[in-house]
Amino acid sequence: MATDAPYLAARGVSKSFFGNPVLRDVSIELYPGRIHALLGENGAGKSTLINLLSGAMPADRGTIEIDGNPVPRMSPAAAQAAGIAVVQQELSVTGSLSIAENIGLGSYPRRFGIIDYTELSARAGAAASLVGLHEPLSMPVGNLPLGRRQMVEIAKALYRKPRVLILDEPTSSLSASEARILTELLQKLKGEGVAILFISHRLPEVMALCQHVTILKDGVRTADRSIAGIDADGLVRLMVGRDPGDLFPHWTTARSRAKAIVIKGFSSGLIREADLEIKTGEVLGIGGLAGQGQEDLLLGLYGATPAETSAAEVNGNAGLPRSVSQANAMGIAYVPADRKREGLHISHPIITNLLLPGFARAAALRLRNRIKEGEIAKGLAAHFAIKGDLDRPAQALSGGNQQKVALAKWMPHQPQVLLLNDPTRGVDVETKREIYIMLRQFASDGKAVVLLSSDTPELVHLCDRVVVIREGRIVSELQRADLSEQAIVAAAVGAEPTVTAA
Amino acid sequence: MSGATTPAEQAAPPLYWQVQRRRNGDLFGLFAVVVVFLAAYGFLFPGFFTLPGFAKFTQSWFPLALVAMAQAILMLTGGISLAIGAMVSLGAVIAATTMAGPLGVGGGTAVVALAGLGIGAATGLIVVKLRLPAIVVTLAGSFIVGGAALLILPRPGGAVPMWLSDMLAGNTPVAFLILVVIVVLWKIYLATPLGLAIYAAGENPVGAYRSGIRVDRVLVSAYAISGLLSACAGLFVAAQTGSGDPVIGTAFTLNSIAAAVLGGIGFLGGQGSMRGALAGSLLLSLMISVMFFLGFTPVAQYVAQGLIIIGAVAIPQFRRKR
Amino acid sequence: MNSSTSAASFTRRASMVLRSRPFLTFATVLLVWAVASVMRPGFGAFGHLRYLVELASVIGLVAAGQTFVVIAGGIDLSIAAIVTVSAVSLPLLSIDADPTGLTAILATLVMTTFIGLGNGLGVAYLRVHPMIMTLAMATFLQGLLIIIAGGSAISSQNPLVAWLGNARPAGIPAGVFVWLGVSALVLLIMHATPLGTRIYAIGANPLASRLSGVPLQATTTVVYAISGFTAGLAGVLLLGMNGQGYVGIGDPYLLASIAAVVLGGTSILGGLGTYAGTMPGALLLVTITALITVVNASAGWRSILFGSLVLILLLLSGREKVRR
Repeated sequence: MATDAPYLAARGVSKSFFGNPVLRDVSIELYPGRIHALLGENGAGKSTLINLLSGAMPADRGTIEIDGNPVPRMSPAAAQAAGIAVVQQELSVTGSLSIAENIGLGSYPRRFGIIDYTELSARAGAAASLVGLHEPLSMPVGNLPLGRRQMVEIAKALYRKPRVLILDEPTSSLSASEARILTELLQKLKGEGVAILFISHRLPEVMALCQHVTILKDGVRTADRSIAGIDADGLVRLMVGRDPGDLFPHWTTARSRAKAIVIKGFSSGLIREADLEIKTGEVLGIGGLAGQGQEDLLLGLYGATPAETSAAEVNGNAGLPRSVSQANAMGIAYVPADRKREGLHISHPIITNLLLPGFARAAALRLRNRIKEGEIAKGLAAHFAIKGDLDRPAQALSGGNQQKVALAKWMPHQPQVLLLNDPTRGVDVETKREIYIMLRQFASDGKAVVLLSSDTPELVHLCDRVVVIREGRIVSELQRADLSEQAIVAAAVGAEPTVTAA
Repeated sequence: MSGATTPAEQAAPPLYWQVQRRRNGDLFGLFAVVVVFLAAYGFLFPGFFTLPGFAKFTQSWFPLALVAMAQAILMLTGGISLAIGAMVSLGAVIAATTMAGPLGVGGGTAVVALAGLGIGAATGLIVVKLRLPAIVVTLAGSFIVGGAALLILPRPGGAVPMWLSDMLAGNTPVAFLILVVIVVLWKIYLATPLGLAIYAAGENPVGAYRSGIRVDRVLVSAYAISGLLSACAGLFVAAQTGSGDPVIGTAFTLNSIAAAVLGGIGFLGGQGSMRGALAGSLLLSLMISVMFFLGFTPVAQYVAQGLIIIGAVAIPQFRRKR
Repeated sequence: MNSSTSAASFTRRASMVLRSRPFLTFATVLLVWAVASVMRPGFGAFGHLRYLVELASVIGLVAAGQTFVVIAGGIDLSIAAIVTVSAVSLPLLSIDADPTGLTAILATLVMTTFIGLGNGLGVAYLRVHPMIMTLAMATFLQGLLIIIAGGSAISSQNPLVAWLGNARPAGIPAGVFVWLGVSALVLLIMHATPLGTRIYAIGANPLASRLSGVPLQATTTVVYAISGFTAGLAGVLLLGMNGQGYVGIGDPYLLASIAAVVLGGTSILGGLGTYAGTMPGALLLVTITALITVVNASAGWRSILFGSLVLILLLLSGREKVRR
């Protein structure tokens, strides 16, 4: 199956950001007619490796080879010329351009220097129908929902008739039927001799589709082998470096009868008519496929997006908070998923990040006390094991430490309810463990913790209770005894029997 | 116009025209307002429907239309220019000092065009290569370009040949026809890979780079075209007044931003379309004329103008929120 | 702890100050002054330098508000119009009942603060882009000016204004004292109060600030109100120095204020910077202008030199890091 030279290879590449090594001496070889899986936890360096392979970033050390020849200055244009196409996790589409113009972007067919729209229509149409994209080609991509944009992104890669196709978590925002179309498509391309690199968190998908696997852990390659003769548990062990069970703390429930939040007929964003009780001392998990309204539930409770409800009670007060300040005053704190955009001021010092909620509620013109501020910040840093000089900008911290800052900044205000939006996304394993222990600690201190997570094992192993949201409605509530990944995924995808459970 | 209209029709029109039609998408409200103002103007000033009346009206709109386009291109790339007014002045003084001399009208026009392209491209290179924010570069640039205009012509003077003034600003709608040609040229540019990439480079520069687009080249070209349009607006103003004035363009900087924003161009790049910017400039120009004919005092004109601009920007924002 | 570590931390702090933008900008000003004084004996005379600082005080005041606005992630393009409104309407407000003239000054400042407040409300609550909001406000004020001034220059009879513009207690112009007083207040608000921290926060990341409980809309509104106040104060000072107000008197100060802010190292994208940099930035600006005057070039060359020098200074020091 594999010929002599790999179509595309990285040899001993390293890369670091702000002094944090993200990849260390990693090699990978992509052969034609093979689907190659790249596995690793969030933050293991997968996306960085893809950026190096596709020329979007230069490597600090090591070389990229095309057909066995080292390429000294790899760039996206060079990658395109060599037939390398990438489907990024972060979309590269332009909302104001049409589907066809997006698919052809960067390599339009031309006649007399002008884009040949007739030709573009034919070729882009062919690529679009390969991925089952039947919307009119003239429709602006901005009008499409996220899953369909992802299909445009894939069609864009196919349009270039690639020899090497790299897909970074292409299925995470796709529906089951879209994912099936993609799977069949990849099988077909493999038959045509395309070299495919496939990144996914859905292990059954990987086991079914791929022949070879490379695993990264904390920026180091821990495995590079045929997928035959290894099972899903074995893959997880290689990714995590330990048995999956060890990641989570052992705990006993601290749930009390007291209710922290009660909502009836709650609507906000995508959420429609939700009824929910959150008790003190519990960790309540929120699960479901991406983008079903989970985030709207948290933001609505936090007063950050407008919400309506027929009855609500928050820590003994009637009614929902109508602004963030009100929510804070009622004892609710929120930790966003996207640290760089929503959670932190990455260009500002760590210390001001840690103290910002305090500044937000202090009297506007009272003089600051730098000594006291320093003491508070030092205390928080010590408690959360945030190391180093607190005057550095927050962007100097690793993802895990940034997350700890985003969490720690609320602690001086003793919140009674913590709303956490995917707190372990892009966080290294050690920090994950620390965060898990903290979450259980919060619960046993009598706080209510609401944990929205895209990582199903988290929900299974940490929560007293999990509610699953589908299409804006709470479709299932699972108690600790009934919790399993199968049960959550089954509820998330609806009546459809589960294909994706691990 | 382009190769898009070639044979083999199925039921649906060819892709190019479908795309064009969709670009009108959000603009119907604006177009309707423009039509209302046009009707009001025609009612107040019946001479509008004669050839000279139409010619006069389009001449008052022409320079604003050009600078609105110049500003819109940059705003589509995610930039902005505070040097548009200075470029207009420079274009005007170059025209007024060269055209009466040995270079003649043809040579003078070429010098204006080259100056516009060159200064625009230089601005673009500074923004792109040295990574300075566009607003600051063009702010400093407005001093340099404005100073150059003062050097060429320290006080109002110079001359533009009479026949050119008569042609561009006389009783025939030549200015309107030139505007049509410019719009057609823009459409052709936007149908080239380099032109269409303005949207991608403005809205999602990282994505555009990863798609293999040479973002730097796209931006520098956009700045050059913007400079060309502003300088040409200056040439026209010189023809209108018959002479050059080194500070005549000052008001165009802010008016160009206002027209582009009225036309739905966003500040973040990649939002809006040139037809919107043109409609915006037409609306601004009509507003000024209509208020003048209604006998509004300058005060009321300014006040109304300010309120309309704020309203035009705030109302869609509110509709989106609901 | 022990003396060696405290000495080390002192050295570190000292080197931080020495490498900071405000200090470097200030050092540049001093260097230019020194070189110019050697080349042109008249330049370094106390009277001349005092004159430069006096000119800088008007720019410095306008730029104080602008610094707040830019740090908060906005921009105020109505500043020139506000300065003019202040300088033109103050002479008309001279109330006979108050021979000191203080009432008129206070009334003018209240008015300009309200104009700024209007900007802030539009930006914060109507969500109009700052450039458009302040631009529209400038257009609006232009209309207002024509009502109140009608195009002619208006002389001020206000004794306090005249004193502010011309008096020299202890040999130092009163305007410079005003500037220093305002500067102290501005620096205090910026660096020693929660309000200042909130302003930096909303400029660096409005979304994260809102989710951290920072009152985004109220803070934005306050920032523009401050800008209206300082522009009004600059107008008062300018009127005092000029003796009369006229339409267009404030025009040079829009670009000057932005240039001073940026020269002082404040990021035009918001969230980073300090007024401590804007102050030497204003001095640098008048110094450049004075040097160009010394060169005795034509108006055109002066403008070109000015623009080029600003650009070069920015290139040397003020590169924005790529942010997204």
